[in-house]
Amino acid sequence: MDKKNSMLTLSLNAQPSLLPVVTQFVESSANVFGLGKNECLKLVLATEEIFVYLCNFVCGGKDMEIQCVNGLYYAKVRFRFSAAEMNLRGLNIASTISHERQSDLEEMGLMIASKSVERLNVVIEKNNRVSLEVFKEKVYPKISETFLPAKNLEDISIETPDAERLKLFAGMAAQYCDDPHSPPFLKYPGKILDMVAGGEYQSLVAINKKKEVIGGIIYFNRTEKIVQCFGPYLFHQEKQAEQGNLLLNACIGKIARTKALGLLVVSGLPETLQSGFETLGSFNYYAEGKEPLVKTPFYRHLHEDPGCEVWSHPDLDDYLRSEYDRLFLARTIRTIKNMGESRLGNSLFQAEIQREKSEVNLFPLMPGADFFTNVERHVRFLRDDGLLNIFFSLDLGFSWHLELIPALIANNFRPCMVLPFAGISDLITFQYDYDAAKSR
Amino acid sequence: MIMMQPNLDNLVPAYVREFEPYIPSKPDPELQKLYGCSRLLRLNNNENPLGPPPAAQETIKRFPSVKGAVYPSGDSYYLRQEIASFHGIEPDQILVGNGANEVITFVIKAFCEQGDNIITADKTFAVYEWVAVFSGIEAKVIPLRNNGFDDRAMLESINERTKIIFVCNPNNPTGTYWSKETLIHFLEEVGGRQIVVIDEAYYEFVEADDFPDGISLLKEYPNLVVFRTFSKMYGLAALRIGYLAASLNLVDMIRRTCVVYSVNAIAQEAALAALRDDTGHIEKTRKLVREGKDFLGEELSKLKLPVIKNEGNYIIAKLPGSDTLAYRKLMREGIMIRPMTGFRYPNHIRITISHLEVMEAFAGALKKVLQG
Repeated sequence: MDKKNSMLTLSLNAQPSLLPVVTQFVESSANVFGLGKNECLKLVLATEEIFVYLCNFVCGGKDMEIQCVNGLYYAKVRFRFSAAEMNLRGLNIASTISHERQSDLEEMGLMIASKSVERLNVVIEKNNRVSLEVFKEKVYPKISETFLPAKNLEDISIETPDAERLKLFAGMAAQYCDDPHSPPFLKYPGKILDMVAGGEYQSLVAINKKKEVIGGIIYFNRTEKIVQCFGPYLFHQEKQAEQGNLLLNACIGKIARTKALGLLVVSGLPETLQSGFETLGSFNYYAEGKEPLVKTPFYRHLHEDPGCEVWSHPDLDDYLRSEYDRLFLARTIRTIKNMGESRLGNSLFQAEIQREKSEVNLFPLMPGADFFTNVERHVRFLRDDGLLNIFFSLDLGFSWHLELIPALIANNFRPCMVLPFAGISDLITFQYDYDAAKSR
Repeated sequence: MIMMQPNLDNLVPAYVREFEPYIPSKPDPELQKLYGCSRLLRLNNNENPLGPPPAAQETIKRFPSVKGAVYPSGDSYYLRQEIASFHGIEPDQILVGNGANEVITFVIKAFCEQGDNIITADKTFAVYEWVAVFSGIEAKVIPLRNNGFDDRAMLESINERTKIIFVCNPNNPTGTYWSKETLIHFLEEVGGRQIVVIDEAYYEFVEADDFPDGISLLKEYPNLVVFRTFSKMYGLAALRIGYLAASLNLVDMIRRTCVVYSVNAIAQEAALAALRDDTGHIEKTRKLVREGKDFLGEELSKLKLPVIKNEGNYIIAKLPGSDTLAYRKLMREGIMIRPMTGFRYPNHIRITISHLEVMEAFAGALKKVLQG
C-alpha cells in the first residue's frame, strides 16, 4: 500500500446486517491511516449512520463499494453505488424520511452523520454512479514556538521547500500573518506538511541568501480549472511588493501551463499586490460571537478569455450583464424562458458541509419539480443546524440550473460572485442573507 | 443496442488525460461579435503585416484549382532542393513539415521515450514543452537569466536521460539571442551527447552581426538540428510550412517519425517562390519592424512602461496590472495582443510590430485602457 493517497476498497451488497463488517473495515483503515482514537470513533459513527441510511432509504439490496482513502491529513470514507433506478432524493442533506417517532423527523437523513465529520459531500460521477463521501481530519498540535524574522532581505529566491522549511514557514505565517482572513490550518505546521505531502496542496517559499525563510505561498486546485492560493504571506514590512510579486509570479509560473485557467485568492491579498487581480464581488463571512467579515475574492485569468455562452434567468440578467461588463468578460448571455413546461421528479442538491468554518456549499445535481420546497427545506435544516455561512452555486453552463433562480431569490439568497470557468462554464455563487430573512 | 462508453481512464495515458488542450482563439468575426468591436487588429501572433513576398503571392493566385485533386509531393521534393541550394547543403538534410510545430513533434518522437527528458527554458515558445509533456516525456524548464537562455544552467541540468535541448534563438518572446560564440561554446560542452535543437523561427528578422546561422554549423556539429519557418518573415503562416535541417544521419532517423504528405501543394510552391523572390521583401519587412519598434518603444516609454525590446518582430511591455485583463480591455478596442502569463511573464504583454498606423492605434488604445 502506497502511503500517499492509499485507498482500500470493500465491495458488498447494501444490507443492514453487514454493518459490523463495514464499521470494522472503516475503523481498521482509519487506524492504519493514522487517525487518532477519537477521530476514528467519529468516522465510524458517521459511517454507521450513512450505511444504515443508504441501506434503508436509498440503495438497499444493491451493490455498493466502500472506499477508505488516506489523504494524509484526513481519512475519507466513500460510498459508491449505481444511481440507476433509484430515488436519489434521499441523498439531499435536508431529506426527511417518514418515521414512526415524529420527534426524530429532523434528526434523520444525512445531517446527523455530517455532525461528527469535517466534511460531507455527494458527487455524481461519470457512468451514473453516485459517491457520498465523509472526511475526518487528524488532530495536529498547534504551533507554540515563536520565531524571529530573518533580517537579511537581499538575494531573495523562490523554491519548493523541504519539510522543515515548510513547517518553519507555517509557524512564521501563523505568528506574523495572523489576521481574520488567514486559513485556520496555518496554525498547524504538521497539517500543512501533510496537506502538501498528500499532493492536494503545493507550496513555495521565499528564502534569502542564508536560506532563511522570509515568506511563502500555498495553493491548490479548487476546481479543475481554478487554482486557489493562500498568501503570499510575508514576514517583513520591507519590500513586501517585491517579495510578494516574486512568490506570486513563481506560483503563476508553476500553473501557467497546466489546466488552470484562473487564480483565485479569498484569504486576503496585500494591497501592493492587488493591481494584478480583479475583484469578483464580496460576501460576508460569519463566525460565532464575531462581527461578520467582508471577504473580497481576488481573481486573475491566466490566459486569453476565449469567451463563452452562459445561461441566465430574467431575474438574473441585470446582475450578470453588469458583472460581465465590469470584468470585461466576453459572454453571450442566453436567457431561459419558461413556456409552461413541467418538471418531474425530485431534485438533488450536493451539500458540502465544512463544520470548522460553519459553512455549507450547495450545488444542484439533479433537477426536479420540487426546487422551491427543496431550497426552502435546505435553508431551514442548515439554519437550524447552526450553519452560519450558506452558499448556493449554479453552473451557468447548464440551463436547468437557472430554473432555480426564483426559488433562491424567494429564499433570501443574493448573488455574491461570478467565478469564470469554475464549472462547465462560469459559476455564480449566492449567499444566504440572514438579515433579509430576519426582516421578513 | 446501447453501446457501452469506452473507459477513458483506462484507455488514455495519464499524461494525455492531464494535459490541457490548447484552445486557439476564435475566428475574427466571432471575436468581434463577442467583444463588440467593429474591426480587429491582430498583434498577437508575430505575423508579417506585409504578407508573403510578391513572388509567393503570385504563385498562390495562380495555383490551378484542378490541382486540388492531386496529392502534393509527399516529401516536398522540389522545395527541399531549393532550400538545400539556398543553404549550400544536401536536399536529404532537410525535412519539411506542416509548420515548424510539426517538426518539433518529429524530433521528440524520434529521440525520446518514456523516462527521458528534454531541456528548454521556462519563458520561451511553449510547444517544445507541450509536445514533450503530452508524449509522456519530462520537460525541464530552466529559468531565463537576464531574459535570455541560461547556457550554464542548461548544461548543469543535463542528466543521463536528457535527449534533446531546445534553444529558441532569438528567443520568443524576449528577443534575446545566443551569439555565435555562445552557441559554439555550448555545442562544444554538450559534445554530441544530446541533440541540440536551435529554433530559428525569427532568423530573418535579426540584424545583429554576431547572430549565428545555425545551418552553417551543421558540418561541425552532427548533433545539431535547426528549425526554420515560412510563417514569420515569409508571411505564409496560413499555409503552415516549416522545415528542419540537420546532418544526414540525424535526418535519416527523424524521417522515420515524419508524416509524409502533411505539407500541401500550395504551401510547397509558395515557399519555393518565397525563397526565390528578389523584390527585397526581407529588407522591406526589416525596415517596417525597425520603424515600428522605434515608434512603439517611444510610446511605451511615454507611458512609463518597462519594455523588453530585442531582436524579432515583437516587443514585450510590462503593465502595472493584469495582462489578461488588459487583453480583454484591448479586445473591446478592437486590438488583440498576446498576454504573457502563459509564457510565465505575468503582467506582461507581447505586441507584434506592424504598420505605423496600426502601432498608433494600439498605443492610443493602450493609453485609454491604462487610464481607465
